[in-house]
Amino acid sequence: MKMAALCSEFGDLVQIKKQLISAISLCKDRGLLHSTKWASELAFALDPLPKDELPPAAPFTEEDAQDLDAFTLAKAYFDLKEYDRAAYFLKGCCSQKAYFLYMYSRYLSGEKKKDDETVDSLGPLEKGQVRNEALRELRVELSKKHTAGELDGFTLYLYGVVLRKLDLLKEAVDVFVEAIHALPLHWGAWLELSNLVTNIEMLKSLSLPDCWIKDFFMAHMYTELQMIKEALQKYQNLIEAGFSKSTYIISQIAVAYHNIRDIDQALALFNELRDQDPYRIDNMDTFSNLLYVKSMKPELSYLAHNLVEIDKYRVETCCVIGNYYSLRSQHEKAALYFQRALKLNPRCLGAWTLMGHEYMEMKNTSAAIQAYRHAIEVNKRDYRAWYGLGQTYEILKMPFYCLYYYRKAHQLRPNDSRMLVALGESYEKLSQQVEAKKCYWRAYSVGDVEKMALLKLAKLHEQLNESDDAAQCYMLYIQDIFSCGEQLEHAEVSTALRYLGQYYFKNKLYDEASLCAQRCCDYNDAREEGKALLRQISQVRDQSETPSADLFAPLSNNNTPVRRVSPVNLISFTP
Amino acid sequence: MNLDSLRKRVRLYIDQQQYQSALFWADKIASLSHEDPQDIYWLAQCLYLTSQYHRASHALRSRKLDKLYGACQYLAARCHYAAKEFQQALDILDAEEPASKKLLDRSVKEDSGKPDSAKDWDMSPASINSSICLLRGKIYDAMDNRPLATSSYKEALKLDVYCFEAFDLLTSHHMLTAQEEKEFLDSLPLSQQCIDEEEALLHFLFENKLKKYNKPSDLVVPEMVNGLQDNLDVVVSLAERHYYNCDFKMCYKHTSMVMVKDPFHANCLPVHIGTLVELGKANELFYLSHKLVDLYPNNPVSWFAVGCYYLMVGHKNEHARRYLSKATTLERTYGPAWIAYGHSFAVESEHDQAMAAYFTAAQLMKGCHLPMLYIGLEYGLTNNSKLADQALSIAPEDPFVIHEVAVVAFQNGDWKTAERLFLDAMEMIKAIGSEVTVDKWEPLLNNLGHVCRKLKKYNQALEYHRQALVLIPQHASTYAAIGYVHSLMGDFESAIDYFHTALGLKRDDTFSVTMLGHCIEMYIGDTDAYIGTDINDKVQGNLNTPALMKMLNTSESSDLVATPRLEDNNITSLETPLSNQDKIMLETPLRLSLTLDCDMYESDVMLDTLSDTST
Repeated sequence: MKMAALCSEFGDLVQIKKQLISAISLCKDRGLLHSTKWASELAFALDPLPKDELPPAAPFTEEDAQDLDAFTLAKAYFDLKEYDRAAYFLKGCCSQKAYFLYMYSRYLSGEKKKDDETVDSLGPLEKGQVRNEALRELRVELSKKHTAGELDGFTLYLYGVVLRKLDLLKEAVDVFVEAIHALPLHWGAWLELSNLVTNIEMLKSLSLPDCWIKDFFMAHMYTELQMIKEALQKYQNLIEAGFSKSTYIISQIAVAYHNIRDIDQALALFNELRDQDPYRIDNMDTFSNLLYVKSMKPELSYLAHNLVEIDKYRVETCCVIGNYYSLRSQHEKAALYFQRALKLNPRCLGAWTLMGHEYMEMKNTSAAIQAYRHAIEVNKRDYRAWYGLGQTYEILKMPFYCLYYYRKAHQLRPNDSRMLVALGESYEKLSQQVEAKKCYWRAYSVGDVEKMALLKLAKLHEQLNESDDAAQCYMLYIQDIFSCGEQLEHAEVSTALRYLGQYYFKNKLYDEASLCAQRCCDYNDAREEGKALLRQISQVRDQSETPSADLFAPLSNNNTPVRRVSPVNLISFTP
Repeated sequence: MNLDSLRKRVRLYIDQQQYQSALFWADKIASLSHEDPQDIYWLAQCLYLTSQYHRASHALRSRKLDKLYGACQYLAARCHYAAKEFQQALDILDAEEPASKKLLDRSVKEDSGKPDSAKDWDMSPASINSSICLLRGKIYDAMDNRPLATSSYKEALKLDVYCFEAFDLLTSHHMLTAQEEKEFLDSLPLSQQCIDEEEALLHFLFENKLKKYNKPSDLVVPEMVNGLQDNLDVVVSLAERHYYNCDFKMCYKHTSMVMVKDPFHANCLPVHIGTLVELGKANELFYLSHKLVDLYPNNPVSWFAVGCYYLMVGHKNEHARRYLSKATTLERTYGPAWIAYGHSFAVESEHDQAMAAYFTAAQLMKGCHLPMLYIGLEYGLTNNSKLADQALSIAPEDPFVIHEVAVVAFQNGDWKTAERLFLDAMEMIKAIGSEVTVDKWEPLLNNLGHVCRKLKKYNQALEYHRQALVLIPQHASTYAAIGYVHSLMGDFESAIDYFHTALGLKRDDTFSVTMLGHCIEMYIGDTDAYIGTDINDKVQGNLNTPALMKMLNTSESSDLVATPRLEDNNITSLETPLSNQDKIMLETPLRLSLTLDCDMYESDVMLDTLSDTST
């Protein structure tokens, strides 16, 4: 059903192509480079139109003709990044196009000045950040025009951007929605809106125009909101509807897989993307993240060198190189490259987060906090940055703060065990064992990637002298480790076995105890204790050749030595 | 010998500013005509024009002409005034008061008898008397006798409604309050002295010069006096209106237009300087003040501009004071410099010295409420709310004043009154435009937010703070205030968000830091350990499949009962801290509100430093 509806919606690919072509020329005229690029990429993925099908150029009004010379001059200055000059010559122009370029030049001039000021982004922690001074004036002027209803789609978009930059988010959302209604084909407005949507409820409450581009937006939104299943479904629909050649969609799907940590799928897609579009630099930082996680040094090195050849002063390239150095544990160099990435574009989210990670590696917590905070400023939904903040505050021994940040990360990814484990650890630090236990348990039940939750839970139980629970957890832990097959570096099976051995021994379940003790001997660090336990068991067995039922009676008394032993055990195991 | 052609020649030379030649011939004429009073008068005039004041005075007085003729009396006094011998000048004017009356009578009488001489003097007795009154006023002014000066000016104007100088001195030196100014303007005998058209013109021009700032008002569109719209004086007064309505952008547009047409338009300069300060155009002000000092080193405005520049760039108050005091020594009655001088102290929280400067300004500008406003402010800052109230009771129509009175009420803990006053001020501002759009009023909105918070109208408070944010976005203390309101409403998550934002903008904000700590603790205590609780059932289900048991050949049957038990604990553990926190919650506002109040005063300080140079 749904498919059919979609197909009909996308039936007229020719129409879409026409719309795209006219949108491209509109955006190009106004210096909106990214939207032009996006639309062009999409148009390229569709079949070419015959000559007589090409859409006519945008209507040329009397006002446009009047402003033509000034506009052409200003556009030339604008393209050369002489924004103030462009704005000066556009002053007094009356056509909508010229007005947009006038305001946009002023905006960009302010942004450029701000960026030039913030080049030493992580230098001395200067008080109060540098601001774009033009924003306030622009807001006042645009809001006057807005109330008068004189803004077209592009100027509305600009108004929204100004509002967002001024942190007037609520107003910004409304204006962007308005801009989208006025001009649905301007992808930039959609993209800006996507940055402001914080959760699914908010997304649902927005009233958006029914246009084919909305599907792209929804898919993008689902990816951003970590609703990967829905996102993948959407993209699949789009591919089936005829956008199969779009590199944009492939990259988005790859990013989606990256977000759910389906690394192999994502890698495959990225490789395909590189085949189709070998000089592409967009999204390559995500690709390098995957390679990094997989520790694929040669591939990462190849990618890095390749990108340097293409363009070494691109944000993505710098991030890839940073990742490369980070994987080689050259953290200073890595940080240097992330810094370079940020000099190139201070709004690059990934670089801020990654730089935070590098500073963490270098134990420079204050710089790390700064970097993570910038990342959050750019995008509030970046769970890695929140998580990183939690880690830094953990190092700084500020458990409440750390708990808060972990919670934020957890909110963004409720089913990610890493955040839950982190939450549990912080609760433990605050001696809120009950919450800690809940978190660990939850981490296990949502599917623990690092296989740490159970171990931690067990240790917590052990600490609280809840030996039954502890034993249960250790058991589950061992089961978990064995069933996942591969050997994990940090696995503490020996610890679990040792505890279980002791536990069964105390409970007079000698068969199980000896089994555990034997398995203990498989591990270097537990071998001696395993042997000792085996000896103890055989001793006890020798003594009590005659099985007596009353041995089970003082079970509760027997538990006391366990209590005394366990903390000691714990200390010896925690690194 | 016919002297008439020579006399004409003397006038011609005077017109052409060839005073020496004029003097030479006037002297000869005087001798040739055997000291005709009129020729002596012209001789004295020439001497005056060549700055030989004492000679001029002597020429008149040695012949007792000053006792006989009003014009001569005026000129003689004028000479002494120019030589800064004020008492002597006054003596000449005073001693002859009855005589001049006589003279006036006689001249009226003589009018019929000897019309020739009166005509030749080329002056109507009214204009001479008006000039005399004006001079008297100026002398009183120079002798610091403000009340007498004021009445003299008024008299001068009444005698000659066209006497702009008197009017200008009255208004620019703020001798009358706004109310008095208006009454006085209405009492002027315009209709008797001028023709219909001119009456309207005069009225319009004079009204334009009246006080504009004590009450925000709509811009007066020049009606029917076409052609005057582009007159620079009219443009300047329009700019001034914009200035006092805090629309600095528009004001700047007008003043810079004037400055292009007439680079040193005297009336425009103070407004222009004020606008440059408001808009933070330091570079332009620097250039302007340099030019001014080079060209007009004796005009206080030049040094006032320099002082303003140093005041604006900050951390240069010492320099600012030096140049402002230079301005005040050049012209003691230059009020703006005194007020700026006070500001330079106020910025440094030197309340006493600031107040001393403001008091001087208040004495000099009797009719102006601004010094009193600042004095009230300083009283408020030094916790002297009674005196502050008194000082602020003047000019009750200025929203700035109302705002400050409200702040005083706020300090006294009289939230209700404060709220009412703040709202009054808001109404005033809204009366100009349809909406509050000028960022100068951001403190007002924030203060309204604070008051609403005190009155526990949290939602309203949030709304006001939000409006304040629209006016001045990215202001740390506004964010902190919003966060505080949220925390009082128990919405810790949002509170934390806002405190974070505040700290991001202002790293060392102690209030936000402490509040953030509290909020995070409460938030953590407030919330569940994790999001989503439905998973427990599934977990228990999982537990019942003991695969590990099989693996380890054991038959452990004890089920994990931990989960339900944990659940119970959970509830109790949640209850107790909550109630504790409630108690903490009740205390914190009291303790913390102190810091927030301080915060608010800071923003007030900001407000008045901004309203700088409003005179």
